[in-house]
This record gives sequence, structure tokens and C-alpha cells, in this order.
Amino acid sequence: MLDHPEKQRYPEFPKRVRLLGIALFVALCILAGRLWQLQVIQGEHYNRQAESNRLRPQVLEAPRGMIYGRDSSIVLADNRAATDLMFIQAEADDPEAVAGRLAELVTFDAEAFLEQVHEYRRQPYTQIPIKRDISRTALTRVEEHSYALPGVFTVVRPQRRYLYGSTGGQLLGYLGEIGPEELREMRPTYKMGDRIGRGGIEQYYESRLHGTDGQLLMNVYASGVPQVRTDAYGRPYIETDSFGRRLRQETQYLPESGESVHLTLDIELQAFAERLLEGERGAIVVLNAETGEVLAMASQPTYDPSVFVKHGENEARRDALSDTDEPMKNRGYQDTYPPGSIFKIAMAAAALEEGVVSRQTEHFCPGHFQINNRGRRWHCWRRSGHGHVAMDEALAHSCDVYFYNIGLELGVDRIHEWMGRFSLGQSTGIDLPREHTGLIPSREWKRETRQPHYPNEPWEWNWYDGDTVNLSIGQGAAASTPLQAAVMTAAFLNGGRRVYPFINQEFGPARVSEPFMSPETVEAVWEGMFKCVEKDDFPTGTGIRAQVDGLAVGGKTGTSQNVALHHLEQYGDDVEDIPYEMRHHAWFVAGVPDEDPPIAVSVLVEHGHSGSRAASPLAREVIDYFYTYRAPSEALLVAKSEAEE
Amino acid sequence: MISATHDIDIMDAHIGVFNYRNLFRADRVLMGLALALVIVGVLTLYSASRSAYSEIPYYVKQLVFFGVGAVLAALIVSFDYRFLISFAPFFYVLCLVLLILVEFFGITVKGGQRWLGVGPLTFQPSELTKLALVYMLAWYFHIIQHRIRSLPFFLLAFVIAGIPIVFILRQPNLGTAALLVPVLFVMLYVAGCKRWHLAAVILAGLAAIPVAWTQLEDYQKERVRTFGNPAADARGKGWQTVQTMITVGSGGMWGKGFREGTQTHLSFLPEHHTDFIFALLAEEMGFQGAVVVLALFGGLLWRGIVLARGSPELQGTLVGVGAVTILAFHVFVNIAITIGLMPVTGIPLPFLSYGGTFYVTTMMCVGAMLSVNVRRGLFSETDGA
Repeated sequence: MLDHPEKQRYPEFPKRVRLLGIALFVALCILAGRLWQLQVIQGEHYNRQAESNRLRPQVLEAPRGMIYGRDSSIVLADNRAATDLMFIQAEADDPEAVAGRLAELVTFDAEAFLEQVHEYRRQPYTQIPIKRDISRTALTRVEEHSYALPGVFTVVRPQRRYLYGSTGGQLLGYLGEIGPEELREMRPTYKMGDRIGRGGIEQYYESRLHGTDGQLLMNVYASGVPQVRTDAYGRPYIETDSFGRRLRQETQYLPESGESVHLTLDIELQAFAERLLEGERGAIVVLNAETGEVLAMASQPTYDPSVFVKHGENEARRDALSDTDEPMKNRGYQDTYPPGSIFKIAMAAAALEEGVVSRQTEHFCPGHFQINNRGRRWHCWRRSGHGHVAMDEALAHSCDVYFYNIGLELGVDRIHEWMGRFSLGQSTGIDLPREHTGLIPSREWKRETRQPHYPNEPWEWNWYDGDTVNLSIGQGAAASTPLQAAVMTAAFLNGGRRVYPFINQEFGPARVSEPFMSPETVEAVWEGMFKCVEKDDFPTGTGIRAQVDGLAVGGKTGTSQNVALHHLEQYGDDVEDIPYEMRHHAWFVAGVPDEDPPIAVSVLVEHGHSGSRAASPLAREVIDYFYTYRAPSEALLVAKSEAEE
Repeated sequence: MISATHDIDIMDAHIGVFNYRNLFRADRVLMGLALALVIVGVLTLYSASRSAYSEIPYYVKQLVFFGVGAVLAALIVSFDYRFLISFAPFFYVLCLVLLILVEFFGITVKGGQRWLGVGPLTFQPSELTKLALVYMLAWYFHIIQHRIRSLPFFLLAFVIAGIPIVFILRQPNLGTAALLVPVLFVMLYVAGCKRWHLAAVILAGLAAIPVAWTQLEDYQKERVRTFGNPAADARGKGWQTVQTMITVGSGGMWGKGFREGTQTHLSFLPEHHTDFIFALLAEEMGFQGAVVVLALFGGLLWRGIVLARGSPELQGTLVGVGAVTILAFHVFVNIAITIGLMPVTGIPLPFLSYGGTFYVTTMMCVGAMLSVNVRRGLFSETDGA
């Protein structure tokens, strides 16, 4: 009786319903196809993205390598455990009450702290620092009251410590946050916020001291920052993120601490030399003349690198960086001065080696000098003249006219070549960053620097004999560092060899050149240096203030001009009357060849005005301190080794 | 045709307007598929609740919604669908009244004023409107019969659907409004309208897209633009799109394992227990699991069409097809959004997404799909006897 219901409908009905079914099927196929594409074809690609979403590395900072002094029982820089007082507000009902109670126990900026608490109220598991690097006594007080301080805990981290403060500050260097430029070069070894050595050993041996940072791989949430804590041994671990969600630790790579560096630096001698220079601007360099080991390289003023690693020392940091006296520069090797008369020992050696004079050759000093007896007059520092002088007297009394003569005979080309052998105008090769090389002028140098400015005026850039005369006594454009002066001096103490100074003990056995002067030349120059200091000689030399009883000390004074002499004429003879900036620089180089170890000392006092009066007494103090201080301990060593035998 | 209807009326006399025995005559295949989806949905929500925290776990609440929805579905099945259709104008007007109430007293959640509060309960009248419109259109097409082929009656259907659409657009709730359009089209088509009428309307609608674009809110335009190039702002506006693709794609062929999805449980994918729950399923169960669930949905919808086709009267067919369209729209649009085929809009996935009113709507749709066919078995028996 009944038809199939479909047949009761309009004719197209079955077709239309079938079309619905087809549409359904097609839509399903599209979805399945897209799923195939996403999950099977591109599955790996998306899986990698999901992994990088999920895993976040948490860096564990590696402790830097230690820096030791000459004696490996002396630690110059190490890492100490700094304790930071932290707070998690999720664990405390009333942060303000906690802050109030804390204020009775430690001094901290409660206002800034509560501001932070407010800022992170939506991420209540964020660790908020209360006070960085708290003292032990403060820590004990806080621990005693911990029952009343919910949410307060401590985190321990390694912090660089410079145990001798400002002593040797410029040599050690400091740590600073890595800059964007450096970061671009040093990726991926370094990351944003990493600390990197700045200046001195910290910078030069950065790659060795830095160590390898460790890593915690964490399963992280899309938002929220993993919160590092440390256990009782200072080892970091992570349990939660800033929202308090538990995090799972996947893997852990422990940090590897950096390698140690052992220095040749005698920290006590360094401290002594720095004390000598206190109140002045200047440098004292002490080298082992046989090996080139840097025993001390004091520079004043100095600064304490600790201020760059501690919290809350912004003021001191700014001072160190902006002081016009440049306390962060080591004047021993990072600044140059006209060498003045100390140059004469190298000039004498060059003249002897080139055969332009012999030890016996005399020149007459009437107190002034003219080229071919015409034209401009150059004065000797002693206006009354030295009379007839041979080489030893010329060195002992620092006769300028003698050296004008031999300088002209040598000529600028030979002078330039010889000074290079003494390291003047060249890098000494020391293992410290940003060494100044100084300058010994030459014909080429003068043309290259001046011709661009005076292209059609050759008299402005040709080399003249007058230039050679200036150069002969270390004036004119000549400039050298106190370290170069010490290297030059060392050559006369070790049989005519050039030493390459170094401060990392691993450089030993030292790189020392073959002798480049004959023993006779060394002997002749040394005699002049010895007479310069020797009291019993008459007339006495310019360096007698450097004499140390019982030691054979030789030396050479230098007083280098900053401004042309005629500018000083208006001020009279008393040093105190001359403006500080216009006074001469005072030099003294000294050597003690017969002791063990033989040392070469170079002293520079900026604007000390007289090498004889301002610089040579400091050299005396250093030599006296070094040998009398060292003698007993050496004796002890001998006694000990004999006892062992 | 009229006499046939008359005969059925006589045959049905002893069944009555309301008969719980209908439940035993309901199609077992469709019920089985629906039950399978309910179980998949609760398990997926159980996994999601590992990281989507709620005082009472979401899957427990969802089970309560399932219970409520199941009771309502049972009521729909127990009623004679013709009786329900005859009340359609009443439901329809009721829904319009509720929509107007929402306009004035609605609760605003996430920028949309969609909710009405009754005591401690809140619900979305726009959800109820979906099925109410299906019944209303079925009622209307039954009244006008073959006159649907004349243009004025054809157009009147657009007025009937248009009034609630305008109210829903004002909430604004673009997703639901967009759903009602295909419901209307599919029902018109199955009811036997002229094909060129429908084609003309669709063409006019396409032509109006540029105008509609200017009417969109800024955030809606932004979503469309983001869909075009999600990587342009991967950590901002494109975050959801980019992370959804990573979530689905990283599931691979076999998935990361039940409750082991890293993307979802580490909060990289927001809304992973509601609109984006399919991504969670695809991540943890992989391609194989996602395709099984797709097949379950396909089976359910296909069975719904079969049952609707077999309904004794066209009005039954129309109710069935309407209910299928509602669910199909949700399934396809939700999954298409999740796998990056459509711009992001808030469209929940039946059985899987967490949400009370929508779960109830889903169950009522299943009830409607079942109800249009319960009396068919009866005739077969009668025929055989």
C-alpha cells in the first residue's frame, strides 16, 4: 500500500540528497588530505619546531680560571661564593610585613623591593632580589629569623674576587658585560649578558680563563621564566618557573671552570713600587734581565677591578672610567713618553757597533752645538759645558753635545735601525692587550706623515740634520714606553741580547735573542752606566741617588722635554714655580747585572722634571727592596735544599 | 500523497504524540557512532584537563552536560517529530524573545554579549536558535508545500532565517550567524526549491562579499589577514595559527601519546580544551587517531542523511538534514580552522570541545536525527504483518 517515502517526494529528491552525501565525502577527504600533509609529510618539520618550543637551555655560568702570582701560593684573582638574598611572593602572605622584618636585620632598599613585588604580582613565583652579595653576619641573622621570613631564601653564585684590590689592577684587568659588537664575532661561545675580560690578563687570556658554561635543558611553558635556585653546595637547579609551574629537567651539562694562569708578577714588589709612585703619575717596570719575565709593572694612579664585579659600586666604576688621570691605563706599556737621555745608552752602543766612535774617542763640549759651526745652536743641558769627554763620561754626565756629534755621524737611518733592535718603536711582544709601540722617527716616517699636509713644500717633509740632532738625545718625535726602556736596559745586563717581556709563566723558558752587540760594546756602555750611579767617581754622575750599598748598580737618567725650553724661561729655576703640565718627564733606567736574578728597572715619573732627582731615588728603593727582601728567602731556599741533600 | 499521510495517521494512532518506546526503535548505528564520539570526547578532555585547570575537572563537567543533553535528546526522540514541528513557530518566537533579552540583559564574555543568566545557570540563546530555526523552516516548508518553487515563498524563508541572524550578528557572534546560512540553503535545496533561485542568491551573496568586508569589525578583518600570513606576527596575532599548525604537525603519524602532548600541556596552544581541542587530539594521537575521529564524524553525518532520507515525510527529512547540517558545519569548520584551512573563528567541535550549551545542542541534534526515522521501522513491521 505504501510507496517508499522517497517516491512520495518531488522527482529530483534522490539526486539532491545524493549530492549532499557527495559533498560530505569530499569535505572529509579534503580534511584528511590536509592532515596527511601536516602530520605525515611535514611532521618532522613541525616536530622540530615543537621541540624548540618545549626545551629551553638554562645557562650555568662557569667559574673563571684562577690567576696566580709568581709564587703559586699567592692567588691574585679567584672566585668566591656570593650569596644573594631572594624572595618569592607566592610563599609569603604579606610581603610588606616580610620587608619590615627584614629591614631590622639587613640594610636594603625596601621601596625598590616592594615595587618589584608589585610588578611581578601576576607571576608570583618570580625570584625577586632583596640584596645582592650579603655579608656572612647578615646571612646568619637572616637565617636565625627565617621562621618569620616566609618566601625569603638565598642563591649562591660564583663572583670574581681580586684579592689584592687595586694592586696590579691594570695588569689583571676586570670583567664587563659583553657588547653587541663583540657578541656578533664571538657567537656561539658567548651569549647576551655574559661577562668578558676587559684589559690586562683577564682580556688577553679570556679564552683560557673563561671556561665552558654548563646547561640545564628544561621543559618550559609558553610563558614564564625558569627560576634557578642553588642547593647547599651552591649547585644550581630548577624546579619551577615564574608562575610556579613545575618544570622537568631533561639533561644537565655541568660547567667546566676555566684554566688557571700563573703570572711572573711579584705581587709584593708590585705593591711596593705602586706605593713609591703614590701621589704621582708614572710607572715602574722591573724585568728579569736574563729572561724578560715581568716582575712588576706598577702604574699610578691605579684602580680596583673589584668595583666592576661587585654590585652597587656604580659610583666607583664611573670614577675609574671617566677620571682624566686615566687610572685604568697601565703607563708601563700603554703610554709613551719622549725617552730623552736614557736613549743615550742605545745611541752609544749603536755608535760603537757601527765604528763611528771608539771607547776612547773624545768630543769637546763647550755647552752648545752647531751643525758645521753654522746656524741654529743646540744646548747641552749644562750650559757651561763638559769639556773633553769620552764615552763613559758622556754617559755618566749625560753630555748632550757628545751625542749630537755621534748622532750626526751615525745618521738617521742607522739610528732607526739600531733602536729597533732595542725594541724601541716596536712592539715588545708582551702578552697584554693594547700595547703602545712608541715611535722612532725615520725619513720615511716624516715624509709619510707630513707630505699629505704639505704636498708642494718638500722642506716640510724632508729629513734634516737638525732632526737627527734632536733624535740623538731622544727628543723630537721619539717616544717609548717604560717597558721598552726596560727591555733596552736589559740588553746591557745580559750580554747584548734582546728579551721579549712576558707575564704568563708558561712563556718560559724565555724567548731571548742571540747577542746583537759585541761584549766590548756592552762592557763600554755598562761602564758609563755604572759611572753614572757610582758615588766614588768624581765628578759624580747624574744617577748617584740610585746607588745601593753593596750592589753594583748602573743606570741612566733622562729628563725629557714636554715643551720647548724657552717656554720655561719665564718661570725661574724652582720646579715648584713651573706649571705641572709644563714640567719635564723624569726617567731613570737601572740595572743590577751581577746579582741573581739580574734585574732591569725602568722608572718614569710624569712631570717629575728631573730624572736625577725624581726618578733615580725610586729605582734605588726598588732595587734595595728587591734584593734585601729577596736575599733571606733565597738563602733559606739554599739552606733547605742543602738540608734535603 | 495526502491519502498516504492520512493512512499513517491512522496507523500511528496507538503510538501517540509521546512514546518512550521510540527510544528502542531508534537507529542503533547512529547511536553507536554518537556514543563512540562521546567517549572519544570525554577522553580527550580528560587529557586536556591535565593542563587546563578547573576546580571540577572539565571532563567531569562535560559528562554532566552529556547527561542533560542525553535527556533532552531522549525527549525529542520520544515525541512525534510532527508534533514538535507543529510547535516550531512557538519555539522560534521564544528564541527571538531570548535573543532580544540577550540584547539588553546579556552577559558579556570575551567581547561577545551572548549569554543569559537564569539563577546560577548561564546559557546561550543563539545555541538554541540553531535547532529552533531548523524546526521552524521544516514547519514553513511543510505549510507551503510545492509553492516553494515560487519566488515570494522562496524569499520568505530568507526572512524567517534572517531575523535571528541579524540579532546574532549584533552580539556579535559571527560563527553562529554563519552557520544558519548553510542550514537555510541546504533545507531549501532538499525541500525542492528551484535551483536557479538558489544559484542566484548564492551569486548575489558572493557579489556582496566586498560590502560585507567593510561591515566586519577590525579584529575580524585582522583574523582574516593573519590567516593569509600568520608568520608575519608569529608571537602576536599569528601565535594561535602558527602554534596550532605546529601542534597538529608535530603529532606525526602515530602521535606523542595520550596526555603526552608537549604543545598543549606546556601552554603553547591556548584554548586547547575548547575550540582547538582537535589539535590536542591530533598531537597526541597522530594522523591515525585524527583520521579515525574524522571517520566517526563522517559515519555519523552519513547515517544522519540516510535516516533523514528514509523519513516517512518530507518535513522529517528536512529536520534530519537541518540537524546534520548544523553538526557538519561545526565539524568541518572547526577542523578546517585547526589545520589552517580557514581563518580563526570561535566554532566548537561537537562532542570534543568543552562547553555546556553547545554539548546540549549537539545531543539535541542527534536526537532530531534519530527522531525523524523512529516510525519507519514500525511501518516495515506493519508491512510485513
